[in-house]
Amino acid sequence: MLRFEKRDKTPIQLRLLVPAVSVLLGLLVGSVVMLFARVNPLKAYGAIVKGAFGSGYTFSETLVIAVPLILISAGLCLVYRMKFLNIGAKGQYIIGAICGSYLALFGPATLSRPLLLTLMMVLGMIGGALWAIIPALLKVYWNVNEVIATLLLNYIASYILWYFMYGTWGTRGFPLSKNFAVNAQLPRILPAPSRLHIGLFFALAAAVVIWVIIRKTRFGYEAMVIGENERAARYAGINVVKTVIIAAAISGGLDGLAGIAHTSAVLRLLQLEINSDYGYTAIIVAWLAGLDPLVAVGVSVLLAALEAGGYQIQIVMRVPFGIVGVIESAILFCLLAGEIVTHYHIRLTRRVAA
Amino acid sequence: MNPTFGSILIKVLAGALQSSTILLFPTLGEVLTERSGVLNLGLEGLMLIGAFFGFLGAMKTGNPYVGLLIGMAAAAAAAAILAFICVTLRGNQTVTGLALTIFGTGLTGFYGDRWVSQRLATAIKPMAIPGLSRIPVLGPILFSQDLIVYAGYILVALFWFLLFKTKAGVHLRAVGDNAKAADAMGINVVGTRYFWTILGGALAGAGGAYITCGIHPYWLNGITSGRGWIAVALVVFAMWNPLNAFLGSFLFGSIEALQLQLQAGGTYINSALLSMLPYLTTFAVIIVATVIVRVRHVGTPKELGIPYAREER
Repeated sequence: MLRFEKRDKTPIQLRLLVPAVSVLLGLLVGSVVMLFARVNPLKAYGAIVKGAFGSGYTFSETLVIAVPLILISAGLCLVYRMKFLNIGAKGQYIIGAICGSYLALFGPATLSRPLLLTLMMVLGMIGGALWAIIPALLKVYWNVNEVIATLLLNYIASYILWYFMYGTWGTRGFPLSKNFAVNAQLPRILPAPSRLHIGLFFALAAAVVIWVIIRKTRFGYEAMVIGENERAARYAGINVVKTVIIAAAISGGLDGLAGIAHTSAVLRLLQLEINSDYGYTAIIVAWLAGLDPLVAVGVSVLLAALEAGGYQIQIVMRVPFGIVGVIESAILFCLLAGEIVTHYHIRLTRRVAA
Repeated sequence: MNPTFGSILIKVLAGALQSSTILLFPTLGEVLTERSGVLNLGLEGLMLIGAFFGFLGAMKTGNPYVGLLIGMAAAAAAAAILAFICVTLRGNQTVTGLALTIFGTGLTGFYGDRWVSQRLATAIKPMAIPGLSRIPVLGPILFSQDLIVYAGYILVALFWFLLFKTKAGVHLRAVGDNAKAADAMGINVVGTRYFWTILGGALAGAGGAYITCGIHPYWLNGITSGRGWIAVALVVFAMWNPLNAFLGSFLFGSIEALQLQLQAGGTYINSALLSMLPYLTTFAVIIVATVIVRVRHVGTPKELGIPYAREER
């Protein structure tokens, strides 16, 4: 019979081993799924690696995807430590993109480029933050389940975008806005065709700042205490309401920034498909990184490579993109299952005869 | 009353019952899963798995009912992954459920790609119940439906009876309210949670498969379009009671049917706002229901989402 005994401390080897094994098993599950569809997994993985790292250009495209993942996952590391399970990054990303784009499309044309871009980014952050504060308020005052609330808000945000794109923001009946003026385009940092943009620096800065907040500030400490035991946090005099709302606003703000930065720098117009599903991928990033925003930077690049490669094999080998979701979820399953060995000693004992 | 208005209303309500059955199965299943203490947030993924494998089964066998059973089996197998991680390995139930949804979306997107927009030759068809279907008003709404809708009625009654009137129901609720006490009474906590999680998965699969084998007999990626999440919210609305699950599903089915009728009738309402309506309503409902549940202390299984660790007594 198996017995689980709680560990006091997790050895560092296990904390590295479990994610590494999870990634390998995830790739293995992906292989099995591909074999059933008569796709050669070795060829597919080869094409993914080539599509993600094959040249300077493809690697810069991988980083283009990593930027929103780093931004979003940094905020998720903070709120997940507080056990506020924000699944709404997708919606916050969309609302951020809409708010920032409003200025790009309808703002005064006289603004200088740095001012306009700054205002767009700030507006995007405010939009994302407000969209995250709604479920946070509902959670702290009425105990409404934030997972369900944020998820529904994702659908609502999608339809708000739909409403604008098929309405007054679309052009000539197509759900595409007019192209952003040069002043409203966040600068790219490498020669064309690379689309890598200065959002990369926002993302790295955000990861460092959130790491500092979590590790070095009283706020971060209080957020963690709330996550460990909310009742104890209240008794200790921590202002739970304030802490949860501020943390949710930070997380939502980063999601909104991810949305407007990607829209302004990469797409350069607003449309229905603005890659908001990065909001779900970032959840896997945060979990895989053990809720450490600096580790999440590396994990973001890894999963961005999988996504970039996934787009490539869809085009080159006609392998449907769904395989990326299969691999990502399989990694997550293994990681969740693996927590049993990081939290417990597992002992094989003989069943005691009754 | 204007006779044409009456006939339209009957048509809308009959359609509402079909749409509501899609939601009823996953909601009922989740009511029982959560009663056992397991929170399965993977309903959306399970419905997609049921919808796709149900469609595939119906395509290969030519029989939509066999297809539906295959969809249920596939979803049950996927729910077993969640049961293993959450019950045996005590993993985080919220994130595992989310992983299950990503898995279902990815898997069906991958295998479903080459089936997109293909149609079934034979779908599940209505079978009026002789006699009962002749009752004015109620007959055409309630008893001129297909077998799956009727199965829904039976399951609602059956699960209500099981949950509140039988020993098995007492045991099930004990496991969800106080696993330690249930274990001390000699109830198999792990077995109970496995059983209801897997059965709940099969029912979520049935809801999905009912779409592709019955109402819309073709495959599209993401064809469930968030209904799994609406079902998760409906469980709170239903206060973990099968009878309320029926009411809640019917309410949402009506919204969907109304939406279809408005669009078909050419009434001009912005389609984005119309499509947003079910999610907006669910959002409002979840808030109200949560507040009511909190004030009246009804239904919520006390150890929902908490894994049972026997040795940590």
